[in-house]
Amino acid sequence: MSEPQTTTEQRFDTIVRPEKPFNWFRLIVTGAIVAGLLGATLTVDANWSRLPDAPGQLWTIARLMFTNLDLDALPRALEGMWESVAIAWIGTIIGAILSLPLALLAATNISSRATVPGVRFVLNVLRAIPEIILAIVLIPIFGLGALAGTLAIGIGSIGTLGKLSAEIIEGCDAGPVEAADAAGASKTQRIRWSVLPQVMPEILALWLYRFEINIRASAVLGVVGAGGIGTMLQQTIEFRAWGQAGIALLVVVGVTILVDTISGYVRRRIIRGPSGKPQEEEPAAQAEAWI
Amino acid sequence: MTTATTEAPPDTRRPKRPPPSPFAIGAIIGAVALTIATGADWRYGIGFSLTEVLTDLTRPNAPMRGLVNIDLSILTNSRFLDAFAETVQMAVIGTICGSIVALPLALLNSHIGAPNRIVYGAVKLFNNVIRSFPELLWALLFVAAVGIGALPGILALFFFSIAVVTKLTSDTIDGIDPGPIEAARASGAGHWQMLRTAVVPQILPGYTSFAMYCFELNLRASAVLGLVGAGGIGELLNFFRNQGAWPQVWGVVAGFVIIVIIVEQISMAVRRRLL
Repeated sequence: MSEPQTTTEQRFDTIVRPEKPFNWFRLIVTGAIVAGLLGATLTVDANWSRLPDAPGQLWTIARLMFTNLDLDALPRALEGMWESVAIAWIGTIIGAILSLPLALLAATNISSRATVPGVRFVLNVLRAIPEIILAIVLIPIFGLGALAGTLAIGIGSIGTLGKLSAEIIEGCDAGPVEAADAAGASKTQRIRWSVLPQVMPEILALWLYRFEINIRASAVLGVVGAGGIGTMLQQTIEFRAWGQAGIALLVVVGVTILVDTISGYVRRRIIRGPSGKPQEEEPAAQAEAWI
Repeated sequence: MTTATTEAPPDTRRPKRPPPSPFAIGAIIGAVALTIATGADWRYGIGFSLTEVLTDLTRPNAPMRGLVNIDLSILTNSRFLDAFAETVQMAVIGTICGSIVALPLALLNSHIGAPNRIVYGAVKLFNNVIRSFPELLWALLFVAAVGIGALPGILALFFFSIAVVTKLTSDTIDGIDPGPIEAARASGAGHWQMLRTAVVPQILPGYTSFAMYCFELNLRASAVLGLVGAGGIGELLNFFRNQGAWPQVWGVVAGFVIIVIIVEQISMAVRRRLL
């Protein structure tokens, strides 16, 4: 040691850092992720040799789409997108109407223990089926077109809406329910006067959120022939009519963002209420409702 | 005017209900108008009618007959197992790669993490645009770009995962505890050091659980990618559907639902442990 050190520096050098506690959970999760990624990548039957082309191809497609936009296709695109919005809106209403009673039946603080597991199971099954698969099954029954798509969106919304509404209902304040009970209210009166007033703002916001999600779903329902702009998207991309596909794509993105913005404003206003108190954190349940 | 007497009955009239706010009136009118415009049977409506639904439902139809004769033996068929394995592989690769890209994007997509307003605006715009693409639209584009098979499916799920995980994670960044950030800045950390030591450890549990949630979404989504030729169980579904083999379609759907529910239960248990 050439330079004499001050006592502070000496002490600093000799200090023993506490060791990081060993985290088994983290090690297992990391190991599982790496193993999963490696295993899947090595075994999957994908044509990896085409991967390097993907960015270039995507760029070519984007260039072909947006350098010669076919404005004549705009009315058709707007009409298709309007039909998608209509399917999403009516479908959300169907899902909302059907999910509310199921949510009440699935909430442990309202319903008896006998019904809850059964209803929850039904909701879980409905949640697991993607809308497009519902549409495939419904098209032979209701014919090609918007009706099958609307019902697919409606039935597809029941599962998630029912589960999340039930969670909101379970989180409501028990005080008003007891008060109504003490004043001699029947079960229906209890729900009407003490549960619904508490949970309706949040459930309304949830329905609107689902509407935003359903617009994304209904924009592609046309791929299987269930109405909306999806038919146009699929045909123009498949037949490489890039100018028209570009218009359709722009309309889908523009309308989706527009509806998200309006609906997001209304949702925040519903949750916040007219008094304008500072906005609470969005319930975690809503983030979960992504699709 | 009457003089007040001690035995005057107390005022038992109910207080008046406050009138609904202009916002509520506007929202109700808007919702009703939108419902009529979209649901009515005119040029720009879809013409939704319950009687039509009922008559269509009461007619005998092939899918319902197929549901009665559901063919569960398909679940042990090697074609189902192969298609299903491909679905899982696609979901695993898409989710993991997408989530890895999503973490830095989520940091840049928040006020705390973005180094300046220009980056923040650009990332936000990018994220809003890719978020408005449904997964099937990605699949259509990638099938056109790289041909059919599992590769376009993986790429579609990759982009879809970026959108979902970025959005959910960046929402949590704005709500984190500012204390560690101040501490990191006070002790001289640069912007990226601050993000690494003060922000990332706080959002890591949320981020991991969103990535797992995204895996559930991708597993569900990868079942439909095959409809446009992007691999997985959807190709099998499409095949049986084109054959009109509804008992097999229902069998595949049933197997799929069982597996999705099992994965969801496992994932929920792990996520509860994480948070």
